[in-house]
Amino acid sequence: MSLRLRTALAVLTLAVTVAACGGGGGGTAAPPPGGGLSSGTPEPKGDIDAFTWVSYAEPPTLDYVHAFDYPQNMVLSNVCESLMRWTPDLKEEPGLAEKAVQRDPRTLVYTIRKGVRFHSGAEMTADDVVASLNRHLDEKVGSYWVSSFRNVQSITKTGPMEVTVRFRRPDALFALEMGASPGTVVSAASLKARGRAFGTADGGLDCTGPFKLGTWTKGQSIQLDRFDGYWGDRARSGKVTFTFVPDTAARTNALVTGEADGGYMIPAASVARLRSSGAGTVYAGPNLTTANLIVSDLNAGTLADVRVRQALSLAIDRQGLVKAALGEHSAPTLVPGPVQAWRNAADARPAAPAVRRDVEAARRLVAEAGAQGRKIVIATSNAAPEFPVISNAVQAAAKEIGLAAEVRTVAPDAYTALFSDPEARKGIDLFPTFWYLSATDPLELYGLFQTGQFENYGGFSDPAYDKLVDAAEGEFDRVERARLTAKLQESVATRLPWIPLADLDNVMFLGKRITGAPTSISYLYYPWAADIGAAG
Amino acid sequence: METFAVRPGLRRLGGRGRGGGLLRAALAVIALLVLAAALAPLIAPADPDAVDLSAALAGPGGDHLLGADASGRDLLSRVIYGARTGLLGPLGVVAISTVLGVLVGLTAAWHGGWVDTALSRSMELVFAFPGLLLAILVVAMYGPGQIGPMITLAVAYTPFVGRLVRGVARGEMGRPYIAAYRALGFGGLAICLRHLLPNIAPVILAQSTINFGYALLDLAGLAFLGLGVQPPAADWGAMINEGQSAVLQGALGPILVPGLAIVLSVIAFNIVGESLADRVSRR
Repeated sequence: MSLRLRTALAVLTLAVTVAACGGGGGGTAAPPPGGGLSSGTPEPKGDIDAFTWVSYAEPPTLDYVHAFDYPQNMVLSNVCESLMRWTPDLKEEPGLAEKAVQRDPRTLVYTIRKGVRFHSGAEMTADDVVASLNRHLDEKVGSYWVSSFRNVQSITKTGPMEVTVRFRRPDALFALEMGASPGTVVSAASLKARGRAFGTADGGLDCTGPFKLGTWTKGQSIQLDRFDGYWGDRARSGKVTFTFVPDTAARTNALVTGEADGGYMIPAASVARLRSSGAGTVYAGPNLTTANLIVSDLNAGTLADVRVRQALSLAIDRQGLVKAALGEHSAPTLVPGPVQAWRNAADARPAAPAVRRDVEAARRLVAEAGAQGRKIVIATSNAAPEFPVISNAVQAAAKEIGLAAEVRTVAPDAYTALFSDPEARKGIDLFPTFWYLSATDPLELYGLFQTGQFENYGGFSDPAYDKLVDAAEGEFDRVERARLTAKLQESVATRLPWIPLADLDNVMFLGKRITGAPTSISYLYYPWAADIGAAG
Repeated sequence: METFAVRPGLRRLGGRGRGGGLLRAALAVIALLVLAAALAPLIAPADPDAVDLSAALAGPGGDHLLGADASGRDLLSRVIYGARTGLLGPLGVVAISTVLGVLVGLTAAWHGGWVDTALSRSMELVFAFPGLLLAILVVAMYGPGQIGPMITLAVAYTPFVGRLVRGVARGEMGRPYIAAYRALGFGGLAICLRHLLPNIAPVILAQSTINFGYALLDLAGLAFLGLGVQPPAADWGAMINEGQSAVLQGALGPILVPGLAIVLSVIAFNIVGESLADRVSRR
């Protein structure tokens, strides 16, 4: 038997083995829909030497100005801290700032916490805050968070432990976003000394969090070591090791076998397998993430006509998508913003429109628009196991209503480029996204459809909408702001610059050894690993 | 005129004797594959791209004889349509590599001397690079798809054919009929194409058949890695790739069905190719 023949047989054997060892079974019943959403897990019973956490990707950098995705922030939230802190129940509380006072609509004053030390040993001052925040305004740095600072006029030191932010126009969201990456404070001296290497495996970090950056082995793992000089509650674990496993099945098996103790962002396909494994517990927590289809160009192409977008939205089988791909911890939606974004202004939350599917009405809309037979191209990627199913379902819906639809699979880096490079979006009409918010306020999402915003990928533009965004941003009362935002939501849900699909819970897994982690999406900016300790 | 025609027809290949049954089964599998590829629109029970989310990961039976994938697409229809890329890709690899290999091998054998040395060293150079690695390099430069990996693998397979052709042709050139044709005033090109090549064709056919199986496996591997034929096209390698997460949900069909198609095809082509090679070598 030739080597190749043996290889072919090995493929079969492997397939059978993977099937045998990886089978879900789903022996344990799922929790009832909508039930069991909590922000936390049981309190630890003691400290632990170390634990391992698995992520789907290695952070390309840990520089906070470029921390714009899950892998970076999942690690960084334990090492670096912000002026404010996003709590596990998605509220804001003082972080590195003891106090924040909105002196007037254009002036925000932070009193910096005393006695906070960086991992290098130096004490944090207002100079560090000013240097850290001003990096976002430096074009040469190229901060991914520059839009959070679009209304900022200046950030200056106004006292030994006081920093004042002045705005060109009122910006109520800015204070909330200071609990996320934009509000991160690092050592000004280290920034200067390490230059462009800051945040890389070579340059390291110098922050104030409960863990300091240990060994970063590129392509393999990042280790964090407990920082004993931390100003807040001491971390319960001595070390945390992050490993990176892009393949969903391998990641799931790492959790089942105990090679990794836990992980966030558990794919729907893995939930039954993990639940039936007996290796730990699957938790679902509050999330600010929704699955949407981004329309690349609202001014040209088949989808430029709002009737075609509405028709496609009417024809998509959202219930089917939830069943087939997104799983039990998701719910179909007709609005692009997550329902949990309204949790701090619940009185103003608009009623969710009832999800319906009406293929006949959709066909009529396409006919009315004269778009029968016109083509749309849907980009997809293996970046998430759910994307191919979403794209196939959208293609089926498009075909059903008389459009010609092509699914184009792009490499993960080309998919990432869709969010930053207009050239990469050429020839693409739609692409799926799991979009998360970094502040518990729906305006963070609906504000990005303002004319000229960086994330306004399709070029949505309406002066009345822009005016309403301005009004909402200038409204410091949370509930009143939410009422204005509800009008924005209504407009977006009708005109569909994005086509909403589903609202997603935050799904995480904790192995039997550990407990204490928050279950909400706060893990992106809250030092969650410090709360993890021994389960028994 | 002496000839060395060895033309083992398929009828003779499937004859009685040890291993004959296996060979007939392999030929039957290949025939089925060709039929499936040619008649896919007629014999597939459903549109291979038809999505039915309510049937996602349905087991075998009912509307889906072999089950359905995560998008509710019929696995039987997809595996039937998959025979098209499954056969066309390797066919392209084998066709190109055979033409190039014969050209290089015959040129080296006929001219000898520095031409032979230069071509042989060139083939060794290409030999030094694993074909899959070359294909991955090309995909990194030009993006995934069917054509890039196909051409790259064809180049990588060329030395296999070239070295074989050179060796066999050099053996043939020592035979009296070549000298006779030369004495009669035939040109080198005419002797090579009209007399030498037909005589070594069975050897080339045997090697190309074996190469076909190898190429099928390589191309399926590249598609599995997301570097070859891209989803949602019904391609066996891409189907296994897409079916991975289904395994976690306890659904084995999405990887086993295309996996079996690949394994059976590779085994069939290997059996036929090696049988051809055995028969040629016995002569």
